[in-house]
Amino acid sequence: MSVTSDQSPTRQARGLSLGGLLRNEQIFLIILLAVLIVGLSLAAPRFMTAENATAILHQSAMVLIVAVGMTMLLITAEVDISVGASLAFASCVVMDVINTTSSLTLGILAGLAFGGGVGLFNGLVVTRLKVNSLIATIATMMILQGGVFLYTREAVQNHHQIEAFSLIATGYVGPVPVPVIIAALLAVVFYVMLNYTLIGRRVFAVGSNPKAARLSGLSPETIKLVAFVVTGILVGVAATILASLLNAGQPTAGRGFELIVIAAVLLGGTSLFGGKGTIAGTILGVLILKIIDNGIIILRWNQDLQIIVPGVVIILAMFLDQLRKGRTDG
Amino acid sequence: MQQSADTAAPAPARKADHRLFRGNLVALVVSLALVIGFFALATEHFWSLRNITNVLGQASILMCLTAGVAIVFISGEVDISVGSLVAAIAIPLIVIMNATGSLALGLGGALALGLLIGVVNGYLSVYLKINSLIVTLGTLFIIRGLVYLYTGKRAIADTVYLESFFQLGNGRLWGLIPYPALVAFALVGGLAVLMTQTRFGRKVYAVGGNAEVARLAGYNVRRIKFTCFVISSLAATVGGILLASRLGSAVHVAGLNYEFQAVAAAVLGGVSLAGGIGGLIGSALGVLILAFVSNGLGMMSAPTEWQLVITGAIIIAAVALDSAKRERA
Repeated sequence: MSVTSDQSPTRQARGLSLGGLLRNEQIFLIILLAVLIVGLSLAAPRFMTAENATAILHQSAMVLIVAVGMTMLLITAEVDISVGASLAFASCVVMDVINTTSSLTLGILAGLAFGGGVGLFNGLVVTRLKVNSLIATIATMMILQGGVFLYTREAVQNHHQIEAFSLIATGYVGPVPVPVIIAALLAVVFYVMLNYTLIGRRVFAVGSNPKAARLSGLSPETIKLVAFVVTGILVGVAATILASLLNAGQPTAGRGFELIVIAAVLLGGTSLFGGKGTIAGTILGVLILKIIDNGIIILRWNQDLQIIVPGVVIILAMFLDQLRKGRTDG
Repeated sequence: MQQSADTAAPAPARKADHRLFRGNLVALVVSLALVIGFFALATEHFWSLRNITNVLGQASILMCLTAGVAIVFISGEVDISVGSLVAAIAIPLIVIMNATGSLALGLGGALALGLLIGVVNGYLSVYLKINSLIVTLGTLFIIRGLVYLYTGKRAIADTVYLESFFQLGNGRLWGLIPYPALVAFALVGGLAVLMTQTRFGRKVYAVGGNAEVARLAGYNVRRIKFTCFVISSLAATVGGILLASRLGSAVHVAGLNYEFQAVAAAVLGGVSLAGGIGGLIGSALGVLILAFVSNGLGMMSAPTEWQLVITGAIIIAAVALDSAKRERA
């Protein structure tokens, strides 16, 4: 990131550092993905079926929806650990509001508003009270984990029986599950936004060099605040899908979700220190982790490996990244 | 604490930190007194020797973890693998004790595994230069997964019932002070002396304050950071041993989320994520404040979930106040 000179933090930084470096990173991820797919197809014929491919995409959708927001947030050099707890709480809110109002629209809006509200809270604490985002969002996570049980002791069951509601998670448009379409649309929107719009350029500018961004008239605080709120709203979207999938608002859901999301984003090449990251990388990261998950099930391996393998994968990916950087620097 | 502030000379900003340190400790002690005072007045059973010592016993495990996590923070790195470590080290402890009937061998096994985890974390973070948050996030997953694999998600019970092992986590000195609290105090005290009164401690502050300057001053930055990871894992191992004794078994879900609580307590106690700032006495006070709040709320028969909510709120408030203070200074 040393290339981010004082004068033009936006264009130049991305031209130099992202262009060359990230393309390599993504090729590496694509190769990893290909190896996984080929290996699993050979090891388990059941892997290469349309149903299984759909299942993998289906499972990837919820993670990807939050991961695109997290990518943007990490590019601004902040992080949100509270997304898992917020996901669980928001899914209860969605179900509860639909139960009481019998309105699907109001329920979904309530979920989005809840997620966005949590994002706003996180963003205000980080940008106005100047609390490190890792700490602030760990604290928010605790508040939400406790709060959701004060809100409801048990799962909020579906009392409304609105048919359209269950279609959110289980419906198909042609051969494609609805959540996959939602995730794909969001990924495209964020891809375009980060790469081709002024907002995107500001996000990168703020993350790679906040001082330079401030000197060129941007407000890092505002952009970070927006990134938190957007991530929160996306959690609301994922929570709606989750509630539909489980046909209930589940206060214990979402444990560890934040770690999977962050692992996928980091695996995709987004930097923890801001200023660097891509949606394409994040998509690859999510797919790799979910295909590994799927492979473990299909090969009938012990499911406990589902938490070991991602751990190994992120450390390994970061190590290889480090090696490559070492080579380009030297 | 004063000494470290003065002698970790490379950064001239140390003087200001020095003042903050002391102010911080006073503020923490006052906060702790206020918390205890409030609950003593507000609830009936809080202010008894039995309850106060109980809380000390309960806080002992987190105290050990937090001390280690704080040292790694001060060195400018992060260790969030300690929650899984707590579950992992109980396995050799219980298994070896069951097989040999010897507490010493069991403790040796636990410490050996803790040492191994610290070496792996340190090696990956420091020598292979992988970001330590990612490394320890990874090992947090990996260790927990291995624990599930090994135990088949069932607790391994202690079958030899050694009195000494039971006493370690549950006994009381003169029937009053819980042994685990004594162990935790001794550990925190020892590490606090290490950090403030020895050359090693001063080097840790220097490295965390500004690694580049410390390197130019001739310090072996890598070795110092590596040592901090090992210390953190060993301190967490001590906490894990105390927990295993209290539970009487190796429980596969033991220590879940402890990493977050330890981070929270350390930060509440004035340790900065940026490195070079804070101390072990402060972080121990942070643990005690959270423990007394949690106990007091229980005494007021508030639902246990309030504890999480209030803990979160306290952390945000404390860090916000701290950064406001720093901006003025």
